[in-house]
Amino acid sequence: MPTITIDGKSVEVEKGTTLLAAAQKLGVYIPRYCYHPKLSVSGNCRMCLVEVEKAPKLVTACSTEAAEGMIVRTASDKVKAARRDVLEYLLINHPLDCPICDQAGECGLQDYYMEYSLARSRFKMADKARRQKRRAVGPHLVLDNERCILCTRCVRFCSEVTRTSELEVMERADHSYIDLKEGKALDNGYSLNIADNCPVGAFTSRDFRFKQRVWFLKKTPTVCLGCATGCLMEAHHNENTIYRLMPSPNAETNTWLCDHGRLTYKAVRAGDRLTKGVIKNGLIDLEPALREAGARIDEARGAVAVLGSPWLSVEDNAALARLAKDSVKTENYCFDFASEPGIKDGILINKDPAPNTSGTGLVKTAHGGLSLEELSRRIAAGQIKVVLAEARAAGLLKDTLKAAAPLLVIFAANKGEIPAGTYATLPYASYFETPGTFVNYQGLRRRTAPPVEAPEGVKPLWAVVNKLAAYSGASLQLDSAEDALKGIVFK
Amino acid sequence: MENILFKDNVAEIEAYFAGGGYKPLKKALGLKPADVIDEVKRSNLRGRGGAGFPAGLKWSFISKDAEGPRYLVCNADEGEPGTFKDRELIRKNPHALIEGMAIAAYAIGAGHGYIYIRGEFAAEAELLEKAIAAARAKGFIGKNILGSGFNFELFTHRGAGAYICGEETALLESLEGFKGQPRLKPPFPAIKGLFGCPTVINNVETLAAVPAIIEKGGDWYAAIGNGKSAGTKLFCVSGAVSKPGVYELPLGVTFRELLEKSCGGMKAGKRLKAVLPGGSSTPALTAEEALAVKLDYESLAAAGSMLGSGAVIVIDDSQCMVKLLQVLSRFYHHESCGQCTPCREGCGWIEKILNRFEEGRAGRNDIDTLYSVAEGMMGRTICPLADAMAMPVMSFVKKFRAEFEAHADGKTCAKAP
Amino acid sequence: MAFKLTEEFKTRAEKICAKYPRRDAALIPLLQEIQKETGYVAEEAMDALALLLELPYSRVKAVVTFYTMFNREPTGKYHLQVCRNISCHMAGAEGLLALLRAKLGLAEGGTTKDGLFTLSSVECLGACGSAPVMQVNDKYFEKLDEAKLSALLEDMRHGRLQH
Repeated sequence: MPTITIDGKSVEVEKGTTLLAAAQKLGVYIPRYCYHPKLSVSGNCRMCLVEVEKAPKLVTACSTEAAEGMIVRTASDKVKAARRDVLEYLLINHPLDCPICDQAGECGLQDYYMEYSLARSRFKMADKARRQKRRAVGPHLVLDNERCILCTRCVRFCSEVTRTSELEVMERADHSYIDLKEGKALDNGYSLNIADNCPVGAFTSRDFRFKQRVWFLKKTPTVCLGCATGCLMEAHHNENTIYRLMPSPNAETNTWLCDHGRLTYKAVRAGDRLTKGVIKNGLIDLEPALREAGARIDEARGAVAVLGSPWLSVEDNAALARLAKDSVKTENYCFDFASEPGIKDGILINKDPAPNTSGTGLVKTAHGGLSLEELSRRIAAGQIKVVLAEARAAGLLKDTLKAAAPLLVIFAANKGEIPAGTYATLPYASYFETPGTFVNYQGLRRRTAPPVEAPEGVKPLWAVVNKLAAYSGASLQLDSAEDALKGIVFK
Repeated sequence: MENILFKDNVAEIEAYFAGGGYKPLKKALGLKPADVIDEVKRSNLRGRGGAGFPAGLKWSFISKDAEGPRYLVCNADEGEPGTFKDRELIRKNPHALIEGMAIAAYAIGAGHGYIYIRGEFAAEAELLEKAIAAARAKGFIGKNILGSGFNFELFTHRGAGAYICGEETALLESLEGFKGQPRLKPPFPAIKGLFGCPTVINNVETLAAVPAIIEKGGDWYAAIGNGKSAGTKLFCVSGAVSKPGVYELPLGVTFRELLEKSCGGMKAGKRLKAVLPGGSSTPALTAEEALAVKLDYESLAAAGSMLGSGAVIVIDDSQCMVKLLQVLSRFYHHESCGQCTPCREGCGWIEKILNRFEEGRAGRNDIDTLYSVAEGMMGRTICPLADAMAMPVMSFVKKFRAEFEAHADGKTCAKAP
Repeated sequence: MAFKLTEEFKTRAEKICAKYPRRDAALIPLLQEIQKETGYVAEEAMDALALLLELPYSRVKAVVTFYTMFNREPTGKYHLQVCRNISCHMAGAEGLLALLRAKLGLAEGGTTKDGLFTLSSVECLGACGSAPVMQVNDKYFEKLDEAKLSALLEDMRHGRLQH
């Protein structure tokens, strides 16, 4: 455990700790471009040069390991001069097109220039090297080679994380540039992380660019519900609109986000978003829809089945369980969802596509119910007249439902989810609009935080269930999501 | 004194053998590897590629306990402008290199060796292939060399056009089939080199000196030359001299002696203006400085320059220093691997400034800009290519400032050919 | 153009790969073999080699574009590569280049219409003692002057130069 001194402050670190990490421990920030904690060290940008006493030259903090007794200076004149020079070199061939660059406001060049340079360039504009301007590379990214500072984070990401190695630096010297095979799309399932990793405006997100200046964005930490991995992320939003999702790196689950998860927010404002109920194919207000669905459930009573959903929060599942047990009073309910959890691609994407299989297990433990097989058997046997289910969970029984054709009452947030032949559909607030508890494949309990409000008239699912109960049986009197959780024990 | 490296009529293995060749290998194989290293340490043989690092010390960095394969690599990627000694040495005395490699491999415990030769030297690569085959046929390379139980396979590997591969870790990258971009150090090649294994990389001239050291002893070699700069050196002289070429002389020989005795003086009608004493990367000396200097590691360092690869570029007063610097900057700009920011951007910037001078578009303040751009590159990159660009720039500006001033403010060169 | 590595090439490739503990180390030698056969390294050849060595295409392309000796398009029968670095410059390389430009009607990088000559200027060829130097394909021509160069051109035009 070497002890070193950084800017006069002493710190003890694990053997093998870099100066950059040691400084971070002390709260000393060392500027960097090519360094990324989850990628191999490349040491090419030279922005993190620091002074080590007795070393003949400045050293890169990202690659130099702390050794006993080292005396490090991160703000000496030598270091400041090096930073200024590196910035000047980086900017000479940069197009300086900040006014039309979508990275503006979160650009490493802008930020460090303000912090460490503020010098006038001595480079003649006419001497600037020109490179290829914006072009789409794959479904999610735009690449502007002229803005690139060749830090190679993107190259290393594709070779070390996705192991797809699409990108490389071609040529050499100041005419080198990032490229991929002509005609090939950069589409490896994680490509949007490249836009995050790019410290400048070279790689930008096709989805996000020009939608919103970043300084207007507010950030709400929440959970990705794209699969059972349950990655932590941040929703960036403004005036009740989400503009992008960004990973919140954490030790438990994720550094990155997959492209699928990152675009899940699109459903919130999709054209087929349900803000009203549907009876057969006709849109009607929620109240009459609830009344109609409630009446059908009330008629069938003992022949009603309620199916929970691994796509819904623990609270919403618990509300459904209460509806079955305490209101409709049927024994035909099921919160039994088996899955084979585990990371499928070695990165983030889970074999279990549902975010809350573990959470529904907790509801099952608290409230019991049928196995999915048994429920399926009863439906197939014609014992069930009405099935109340969330749309994607209903998909798990697709064939049985099609064959037996019970009356379907479906919870759905988007029209596209509604199974064919559904009788009544009830809208509900997505988890970008209401909080919900989810338990990921590792058993980690995580709660979504709503960055935006649900459309007018759209309520959280537990609240819809609460109303439905009044129309279909005994009232549940749920005043909050937490009310539904009674009896559920989290591990 | 008699040449150690640059001998005539030893290119064929029979002639080399008849002159006592491959006896040192036999002698070395009878010693303990550590004793071979000690002998080389005692000789004070230093790396002849440019850096001048003591060869024996470099060999001793290979851990005795390291498991797995070790490699010996010969750097024959001769590319420093002004340098052409390795090519000549390979042509004249290939077996000294091959024998030196076999001895070095034995000393460090390497089972495989590669000679990385620059791609343009196709003829020399072929010549080496043949020489290795001949050595293999005689049992000097291959399995159980001379019945000692020591195995050593030796291959040639051609580069493909990149000056940077003369930097030893870039060379390793290239040898592994990658772009030749220098590695971060540490780890040094002795710990983690070729294919991740302990590796020694030596220049052709360094390795070719080893058989004589083993044969005659380290002390004998150390006595040649000038103190810490032991032994002979191949000086390759180009430029405005009567007889350019490669000359083997003891280190510490004066530039004056090299110029006047070996090279027959300046070309008729030409007057000495400047010398790049160790290749295009080394700081320039003025005529006065050059004529007073001894050519060895310490003396040249004391004169503010370097021995480098021993490439002595002689510049006469009909040459324009601004133009020559433009020529050099074009080279470094062309050869920067593009990895580190200061080198990638700085080399191009310097060339662009010099283009302005040459085209009459430079102002007086561009002289200072030129200097400070170079200064800003020094010591801030992974490998010394940035320094190699910066050193001539800074020395040219410092010592020949008047020529830059004569180009400024709309004027162009009076000496343009 | 469909490009297929011949069985003969693959056999040769295996021999070259055997020089190294890792097959991918043979990438540069194999690119050189391809160039020796076809005069340049085509996109399709890069694909084929990537497949053969089980490497990403991007690595092959990066290597081809990094090293200056790989031609990315066909060159003339004689690839004239004139060194213009410091020693050759002082020995009159600019004049030789100007002569070739004029005689061939080409700028650097160009190829004559008859496909006979490609003209390039190159950096140091490592033969500074016999400057100025030109490499034609693999072969060095040293201590050139305008008369020698003109004679050499004539030899090449009339197929008298071994190539």
